[in-house]
Amino acid sequence: MKGLNIQAKEKSPKVIFDPEKKIFEMEGNSRPENVRDFYYPIIDILRKYFEKVSDKGDHESFNENPFKFSFKLDYFNSASAKFISDILVIIKDFTDEKLKIKVYWYFEDGDDDMKEVGEDFSEMISLPFNFIMIQRN
Amino acid sequence: MKSYDVVVNHKGFISLEIIDDMLHHLKIFLNNKESENKTLRKRVYSLSVECLDNILKHSDLNEENHELLDQYPPRFIVERIAGNFLIHTGNIVLNKNGEEIVKKLGDLNELDENEVNALYKKSLSNAEISAKGGAGLGLIVMSKLTRQKIKFDFEKINDKFSYFAMQLNFKK
Repeated sequence: MKGLNIQAKEKSPKVIFDPEKKIFEMEGNSRPENVRDFYYPIIDILRKYFEKVSDKGDHESFNENPFKFSFKLDYFNSASAKFISDILVIIKDFTDEKLKIKVYWYFEDGDDDMKEVGEDFSEMISLPFNFIMIQRN
Repeated sequence: MKSYDVVVNHKGFISLEIIDDMLHHLKIFLNNKESENKTLRKRVYSLSVECLDNILKHSDLNEENHELLDQYPPRFIVERIAGNFLIHTGNIVLNKNGEEIVKKLGDLNELDENEVNALYKKSLSNAEISAKGGAGLGLIVMSKLTRQKIKFDFEKINDKFSYFAMQLNFKK
């Protein structure tokens, strides 16, 4: 299955989805001019990937090496927040299907709001997050 | 002596390019205030994006009324007064949308911090993205991040349009 490798721009984040390495990463800022055009293909490819894995039924071998989602966002607008929540709902749906998926939420030291927004998402969607504080220069 | 800066002062037509320029300028200003609280700096930036998105989304209402735009231009001002920030916005809205905004802001101003946070989570779960790319969350985000009542005013222009002005206050 093909992945994604979207380069960061000033208004949109870097997005990497590598089905072989079982990683998904978003990093940077998100206020794309056309938020729907940016996020719909990402959501579509993720849902199709997890549906395929789930339909295959070999959860045991998938779970030996859990899929990792990393959110390393510096800033996102409210419309992007909606789509990030849609991505998290996909994760929740497939963890409910007994696939092992880990979520890492990065925030910069001193950026209390970014940590809080991760806590809000985690609570809203009932999905545990690993919080990681980073230092940026 | 208290410091005072007018960080952004825009009155007139607004486009994506103009918004990008203003945000770029604002970012440079905020990055130079490293001694200040990072959370406050990011909130000022976040709220500026939401305000400018809102102004832009209403801009298509105005194409039919160029004369009105000259008289009532979109406005976006960011001031820094003794380390606190004030954001002023102004734009023309349809009267029918204005009524909805008054109701939304009136309701938000009645809520305490926890209630605003609960409303944000509920609204995010139920949000639908409009054709213009809005999630309908902007005003709630403003209330959530400023943690203050939002001051606003409407001036009726004619039977169809009003001028909507808003002031957001960020205390350090």
